[in-house]
Amino acid sequence: MINFSFDGKAYTAQEGDTLAAALLRNGIGLVGRSFKYHRPRGIMTAGVEEPNALVTVGEGGRAEPNTRATDVFVYEGLVAKSQNRWPNLSFDVGAVLGLAAPALSAGFYYKTFFGSAKKWMFYEYFIRKAAGLGNAPTQADPDRFSHRAAFCDVLIVGAGPAGLQAALDAAEAGKRVILVEQDNILGASLIRDPQELDAAWIEVTAARIRAAGGRILPRTTASGYWEHDLVTLTQRLSEPGQVPANSVAQRLWHVRAGQVILATGSIERPMAFAHNDRPGVMLSQAVRSYVQRFGVVPGKRVVIATNNDDAYKTAQTLKDAGAQIVAILDARPAPAGANSGHRVYNDAVPLLTKGARHCLKSVSALVDGKTMEWDADLLAVSGGFTPVVHLHMQAGGTLDWNEDAQAFIPASSRQNVTTIGRAAEPQAIFKMVPVSSPKKSFIDFQNDVTLADVDLAWAEGYRSVEHLKRYTTLGMATDQGKLSNMAALGRLAEKQGVAIPEAGLTTFRPPYTPVTMGLIAGAGAKDAGAHVRRLALYDLHAAKNPIWQPLGYWFRPRAYPNGGESLAQAAMREAKAVRNNVGMTDVSTLAKFEVSGPDAAAFLEIICATTVSKLAVGRGRYTFMLREDGFVFDDGTVWRLDENRYLLTSSTGGADRMATHISYVRQYLCPHLRVSAVNVQEHHAGLAIAGPKAKAVVDALIGTPAPRHMSTEPATIAGTPVLVLAASYSGERAFEIYVDANQAKAVWAACEAHVQAEGGCLYGLEAMEFLRIEKGHLVVGGEVDGRMTPHDLALDKMLNKAGGYIGASGLVRPALSEGGRRQLVGLEAIEGDIPEGSMLIPREGASPQGHVSAAAFRIIEGGSVALGQLVDGFSRHGEILIASSPTRGQKARVRVVAPHFYDPAGERYRD
Amino acid sequence: MTEVTITTPPAAPLHVFEIWGNPAAVAKRFKAAMGFALPATGQSGGSDALRLIRFEPTVWLVEGDISALGDVLAEDGALTATSGGIVRMRLSGAGWRTLLMEGGVFDAESPTFAAGCSAATIIDHVNVRLHVVSDDACDAYVPLSFSAGLLHFWKEAALSL
Repeated sequence: MINFSFDGKAYTAQEGDTLAAALLRNGIGLVGRSFKYHRPRGIMTAGVEEPNALVTVGEGGRAEPNTRATDVFVYEGLVAKSQNRWPNLSFDVGAVLGLAAPALSAGFYYKTFFGSAKKWMFYEYFIRKAAGLGNAPTQADPDRFSHRAAFCDVLIVGAGPAGLQAALDAAEAGKRVILVEQDNILGASLIRDPQELDAAWIEVTAARIRAAGGRILPRTTASGYWEHDLVTLTQRLSEPGQVPANSVAQRLWHVRAGQVILATGSIERPMAFAHNDRPGVMLSQAVRSYVQRFGVVPGKRVVIATNNDDAYKTAQTLKDAGAQIVAILDARPAPAGANSGHRVYNDAVPLLTKGARHCLKSVSALVDGKTMEWDADLLAVSGGFTPVVHLHMQAGGTLDWNEDAQAFIPASSRQNVTTIGRAAEPQAIFKMVPVSSPKKSFIDFQNDVTLADVDLAWAEGYRSVEHLKRYTTLGMATDQGKLSNMAALGRLAEKQGVAIPEAGLTTFRPPYTPVTMGLIAGAGAKDAGAHVRRLALYDLHAAKNPIWQPLGYWFRPRAYPNGGESLAQAAMREAKAVRNNVGMTDVSTLAKFEVSGPDAAAFLEIICATTVSKLAVGRGRYTFMLREDGFVFDDGTVWRLDENRYLLTSSTGGADRMATHISYVRQYLCPHLRVSAVNVQEHHAGLAIAGPKAKAVVDALIGTPAPRHMSTEPATIAGTPVLVLAASYSGERAFEIYVDANQAKAVWAACEAHVQAEGGCLYGLEAMEFLRIEKGHLVVGGEVDGRMTPHDLALDKMLNKAGGYIGASGLVRPALSEGGRRQLVGLEAIEGDIPEGSMLIPREGASPQGHVSAAAFRIIEGGSVALGQLVDGFSRHGEILIASSPTRGQKARVRVVAPHFYDPAGERYRD
Repeated sequence: MTEVTITTPPAAPLHVFEIWGNPAAVAKRFKAAMGFALPATGQSGGSDALRLIRFEPTVWLVEGDISALGDVLAEDGALTATSGGIVRMRLSGAGWRTLLMEGGVFDAESPTFAAGCSAATIIDHVNVRLHVVSDDACDAYVPLSFSAGLLHFWKEAALSL
C-alpha cells in the first residue's frame, strides 16, 4: 500500500495506481472545478487527454500545477491538491459564477472589457484572480533537468501492439531503434484489452527488442516533431512532485531519426448532451482501463452510451467485475448490439444527466423519439475515436477524411514519417448529431465551451474555424482540444451545411502535452542558461575578492575594493594609480588571432581597413574592421611578429564574431591565399601594465629596455617566454604581456610584485572605462555600435588608400558621407553629472539628436565627461546641449567638445 | 548506473597544423618523416609521443613533439601553438558515449565512432573536440575558459546517466 494525500486528507493507493485510479479506488468522484464556471468535475479519461482532473502535485519548489491526475503515478508521500476553488473543493464560492453563465458566454472578454489599455490593466487583475488553473510555485525548483541527444534509424512512438511489432521488426532487421511510450508500462490498448494479446506477449516482445539493441523509453512522450525528422521527447524520471532518485527529474531528448513510425493510437470522444461534465460521466475505454488495469470499478449501476461496437467490451468488462449494466444507449438502429447479452436501446442518445456535486444520479436519453430515464452512478460514453495525428501534422503532414470513422487520418508528409495502427485506421462509427439542449452541453471541458457558445459564435458571424477557436477559446486549454476539436468541427459543419472536412481544421503545434519550464531550460536553469567563461587567472583574482563584471559569457574583475571601499571609490583609486604611478590589469579576454604564411599581410589587408603590409617586423598599429556595408564592426591592433607571422587583436565582446568573420574570409573569399589564421584568444593569457612607471616596471621584469610605443619584443619573465607589446588603451605608457595560459600564474605574480614594489595596484574594468573614456578611445558595443562608419568615428584618415578591404565598396556609397550623420563627439558637463545612455537634445521637448555612449568622471581634474554620437557632431564643438535621461529622471547641461579629454597629442605614451 | 570517470591530464604541447597548399606533397613528406600517413578527416593517427587529429579539411590538432613538423610543412603550411587555450579531459568507462549525448548534438553512440575517430561538436553550448582513444575512453579538448563549467556539467550529468 502507498500513502498519499488529497486536499490534506490521507488515503492509500496500490502499487502502479495513477492518482486518478487511486482517487476512484477511494470513492472520490469530485476532483476539480472547471476553469470558468467552477463546475464540479470528476475524472473523465484514463490518459493524457484528461480535461477535468487537474491537480497540483508536490510541495514547495517541486509543486507542479495543472497535472492531470490520470498522468501521475502515486508514490509514497504524494501530496495532491485540487485547484481553482475556495474555500474548499466541495463548497466553492466561485461556483456562483455558474449562475452568471449566460453573461459569460463566448466572446465575453471582448464584449465586456474594452476601452483603453489602462482599463485593461485594471480588469486583468480580477480576471486572473477569478480564472483558474493552479498556481505556479514561488520557490525555486530544487531538481535538475537534463537535455540529451539521440540518433536512431527508426523512432517508434507508442508501444501498443502496432508500435511494439514495428519496433521488433526494425530492431531485428539490424536497425538502431528507439521506442517511446508515454505510460510507465508498455502495451497501451493491450492493457485494457488483454484478451487481444496478453502481458506475456508484451514482455517477450520488449525483451526481444532490447536483445536486438533497441532502446525502450517508458514514461516518455514525443512532444514535438520538427524539421529534418527531429523529434523531442519528454521523459519523466520521477513523478511530478517526487524527489528524484538521481536529482534529475526530467529529461528532454532531441532525437534525430532516419524514419519515424507513429503508433499513437486514437482518443475516444465524449458526447455532447446537457450536463455531460458531471462527475460520474466517463469515457467508455477509460472505464475499461480502470477495471482491467487497476481493478477499480468506477460505478455499480452503469449506463453506456455509444455509437460503435467498442463500448460493448466495456459493458462486458463491467459486468464481469460485478457492476450492473442498466442500459446501453446505442445511437445506431437495430439490430446493433442485439446479441450482446445486455439491455440495448437503439436509436438512443443521451439527453441529460442529474446528480450532486460528487456523483451522478440519473441519465435521461431520447430513445426512438421518446425520453427515458435511468438511475445510474456511472455513464460510460463512446462518441467515436479521434486518431492522434498531432505529430504527423507537426511534421508538416496533411490529413485525409475518413467517412466511416468520422475522423481525420494521416495522409502525406514531406518528412519520413509513417503512421500505423489505430491512428491510421480508426474504428468505424455511426454518425450522430447532438439532440440535447446546447446550453450545458460541453465540448471543451477545460475551457467551459458549450455547443451554445459555438452556436453564438456562428450567429455573430464567425465562420472560419480559426476565428471560432479564438473567439470561444475552444481547443486553447492545456489539453489543446484533444477531446473537443471534432465535436466543434461537427457543429460548425452542421451550421455551415457542409461536410466536416470542408469546415476546416486548426493546426496542431508542439508540445503534444504540457512541458515544464524547467525541462525546457535544462541544466541551464541553474546558471542562467550558459556556462560562465573563466579567466585563466580566475583563482588569483578570486583570492582578492573583486567585484565581478559579466562581459558576454566572461566574468572579469570590475574593481578590487580595499576595506570598505565602494565600487566607485575603488575604481577611482585604481584609475588614479594608473595616471600617477602604475597599474596592472587582466586583458586575457581580448580576441587574438595568429596569422601566418606568405600571404598573411594580404589576408590581413582584406580583414582590416588599414594598411598592414608596410609594418616592419617588431612593429604594430591600431586597426579596425568593417562589415561589407562599410560600417565599423570591430577594432584592435595588428603586430608583425616575424616576416610572415602576425598577431591580430580585437575586442573581447566581438571575439566570437571576429573568429567567424576570419574563418569566412579564409574559407570562402580567400581559399587561394597561402595563409593560416588560428584563433589563439585563449592560448595567450594577457596582462597590461600601464602608467608613468610602467616602463620602469617592464624594464626590470624583462631585464632589457622595454619596447617603444607600438613595438613588440619576445622576452622572458619569471623564466617564462612572453611577448611584450607596447600599446596603450589607458592613455599612459603601457604594455601588454602575453604568455601561454598554462604558465601565466608565475608571470602574473612576478608582474604584480614589481607593480606593487613601485607603489602601484591592480585595476579592473571600471577604472579601465574611466581611463579610456578620458582618453577618447572607442569600445565595441559602445561607440562602435554597428551604425558608425570610419568617417563618423574620425578614422577615415587611417583607411587603406589602396582599398581592397572588406567594406571598401560599401563605404563609397554617398549616403555614408553625407551631412546629417551621427558623429563621435566628446561632452563636458557644465552642470550636473552626465547620465550614461541619455539622449542629447538642444532644449527641453526637442527631438533627440544623439546619445551618450559612455560617461565617466575625469580622474585627476574631476568633473563629468562623456563620449557620444551627435548629428553633424564634428561641426558642433562648443554647442551647449542637454543630456537627458527621462527614464532615470536625470539630466545635465553639456558642452560639445573633441572626444579627447586627456593628452590629445599622445605625448604621455611615447618615449 | 552507467559508469564514467572524468579526469584532467596535465597540459601537453598542442599545436594547430594547417596546410594551405600542395597537400599531396605535404602528405608524402609527412609519411616519409613520421612513418604514418596524415590522418583523414574525422580520424587520428600516431602514438602518445605524437598524435595528429584531423578536425577540419586542412587542419590537424597536434599533440606531442612537433620538432620534425616544420620541415614537413616547409612553405606549404604553418604550425601555431595553442596548448594554453585547451584543456584535455579524458572520459573513461562504459558510460562515456552516453555522457557525451548529454547536452550534445553529435552521435557519439554510433558504433562507427570508434577508436581513432575524431569529431568537433558542441556540448551544452561549448565547442568541444573529441578523439576516441579506445572503446572505454575518449579524450575531449575543451576551451580553457569553459573547462571548469563543462567539468561541473559532466560530473553532475554523470551521476544520473
